[in-house]
Amino acid sequence: MASTTARPLLLLASAVVLASFLATAAHASGLFSTLPKTLVVTASPTPGQVVKGGEDKIKVTWGLNKSLPAGTDDKYKTIKVKLCYAPVSQKDRPWRKTVDHLNKDKTCQFKIVARPYAGNDSIEWTVEKDAPTGMYFVRVYAFDAVDGELGYGETTDAKKTTNLFQVEAISGRHATLDIVSICFSVFSVVSLFGFFFNEKRKGKAESK
Amino acid sequence: MRAFHLSLLSFFACFVSTFAAPPLLPIIRDNLNLTAAEIGYAGIASVTGAIVARIAMGAACDTVGPRLASASLILITAPAVFFTPTVSSPVSFVLVRFLTGCSLATFVSTQYWMSSMFSSPVVGTANGVAAGWGNLGGGATQLVMPFAVTLIRRSTGAAKFTAWRIAFYVPGLFQMMTAFAVLIFGQDLPDGNFRRLENSGDEIPQILFHGVRNYRGWILALTYGYCFGVELTMDNVIAEYFYDRFNLELQTAGMIAASFGLANLISRPVGGRLSDEVAKRFGMRGRLWTLWLVQTLGGVLCVILGRVNSLGGSIVVMILFSFFCQAACGLTFGVVPFVSRRSLGLISGMTGGGGNVGAVITQLAFFRGSKYSKETGITYMGIMIICCTLPLCLINFPQWGGNPSSSSSSSATEEDYYMAEWSSQEKERGLHQASLKFAENSRRERGRRSACNTAPANDTPSSSSPAIFAV
Repeated sequence: MASTTARPLLLLASAVVLASFLATAAHASGLFSTLPKTLVVTASPTPGQVVKGGEDKIKVTWGLNKSLPAGTDDKYKTIKVKLCYAPVSQKDRPWRKTVDHLNKDKTCQFKIVARPYAGNDSIEWTVEKDAPTGMYFVRVYAFDAVDGELGYGETTDAKKTTNLFQVEAISGRHATLDIVSICFSVFSVVSLFGFFFNEKRKGKAESK
Repeated sequence: MRAFHLSLLSFFACFVSTFAAPPLLPIIRDNLNLTAAEIGYAGIASVTGAIVARIAMGAACDTVGPRLASASLILITAPAVFFTPTVSSPVSFVLVRFLTGCSLATFVSTQYWMSSMFSSPVVGTANGVAAGWGNLGGGATQLVMPFAVTLIRRSTGAAKFTAWRIAFYVPGLFQMMTAFAVLIFGQDLPDGNFRRLENSGDEIPQILFHGVRNYRGWILALTYGYCFGVELTMDNVIAEYFYDRFNLELQTAGMIAASFGLANLISRPVGGRLSDEVAKRFGMRGRLWTLWLVQTLGGVLCVILGRVNSLGGSIVVMILFSFFCQAACGLTFGVVPFVSRRSLGLISGMTGGGGNVGAVITQLAFFRGSKYSKETGITYMGIMIICCTLPLCLINFPQWGGNPSSSSSSSATEEDYYMAEWSSQEKERGLHQASLKFAENSRRERGRRSACNTAPANDTPSSSSPAIFAV
């Protein structure tokens, strides 16, 4: 009885596993070092400008590098614009590490926009509230129909030292929270003393 | 039983507060712009405070009783938890983690309270379960905190950097409530409370002298650092490890990390029970051998954990590792009660403090900064566990034997061992009576074969299972 139900279950399980393997294989991405730099990207912040998270906007413009032969972008179907950490903000922070394998790369953790490729394009984006304080640049990836990376462009140079701007994150703190914290803390300590006095009083009453 | 539940709950709450930050580190590290080194220091700070606090707590219990001592500590450290939502720099983060971590000294008051309220045949179980289920807090918090953040974000739409702050009121309020419960509903002894513990007439300097002189206490302090200390380290690093290495959601990483601490539900009590069962047949040698074996196997599994590359494999190995690691904690306190009778409290405190020292050393060496990746750190930690468990082979009790020696010296007796802690003047004053009684009852630690040959057969089960007697 167990084997007759087990066999179709086993088939189903292996089908699921195989499907997931294929799915990941379809997204099998290559290495960043082999990706051609085909796009020209500019962003509105000037080098060193401080942009406030949750408040300020940046404008990103991108398009194919005109000096490349026509038809380079024939296969480009979608575009992803991302906010990326500069090396100074990656230092001693392994969770932001740059890895050549694009699947594992953690340099660009914020997606500004993903849209179909339309040649020259631009977007105005309010910096997310979640963006931490640090130095950043913008990178644009071009994908083909099966989400494979075909090319990229970025606002900085190969060493990622020029044209960086700073994001100043929200602190997350609020005056209300500060007040609540003080109140609870005071209550905690005062009630301790209250209990102690009570114990002493009871002790005196009992000993009488 | 009320005392059992109250002390257990408050100890649990302290664990929840101390390890509330680690599962939220992926958010906190971005909010406070922390580097890997700063995260490491915060983790070290969280377990450093309790080293001294545990020893001080022992003294406090002696003077004002466990009820007031533990409630005071909990209410004094609660502000540290309440001020965590206001931190805005790495230094303030390290500071609040340090102050919050001092609350882990409630381990001592919990054990002390259990030992005052429960009779000998069950005091071991009471202590083992209280310790194990308290440690559970370190696991529960990894589930609760990410869940709280998600709930807060969904209901208030708060930004990530605000939501984690609001979430911290959960452990803070919980901790405060348990302290109130202890004060309102608890009592120190079966007959009521006491303002000052009746002094048995013993002197602290003598207790200190005999405790510190006993090399077995030091070895156990070291080895406890590599089961309990490792458990504390894992509570600090495991959520971030899973989040970063396998690209999981915060809540998923929290769930997996939680299973490490949650294994305490059975693993630590099982360790204590195992110690008792083995002692029935093989006596103290059995306890020591089993402790060595279980802890070493834990170390091996830790090495494997650092090498496994798949998510599923990592989870399985981690759960197995947690069982062995926490069972070793329970097994350790199967040996501790027998090291010294006069300085029992001190030896327990040293062992407990040694656990925290192990956590500090391990985090300093392997989990600070970016020198080692977390998986390499975990592997090295496993190797260190194996090495630091070896000193157990050096422990020898003249009356029972030790790890590698096959038989005890036939002329040594339990009385000789425990009476060596008292001078003849002290014996004249009759201070040694409790130790003498304990020595008689501990004859069962010779194991089945030898115990049958000893006369007189002690038929009173007054100390039948002091095994998991963690005071």
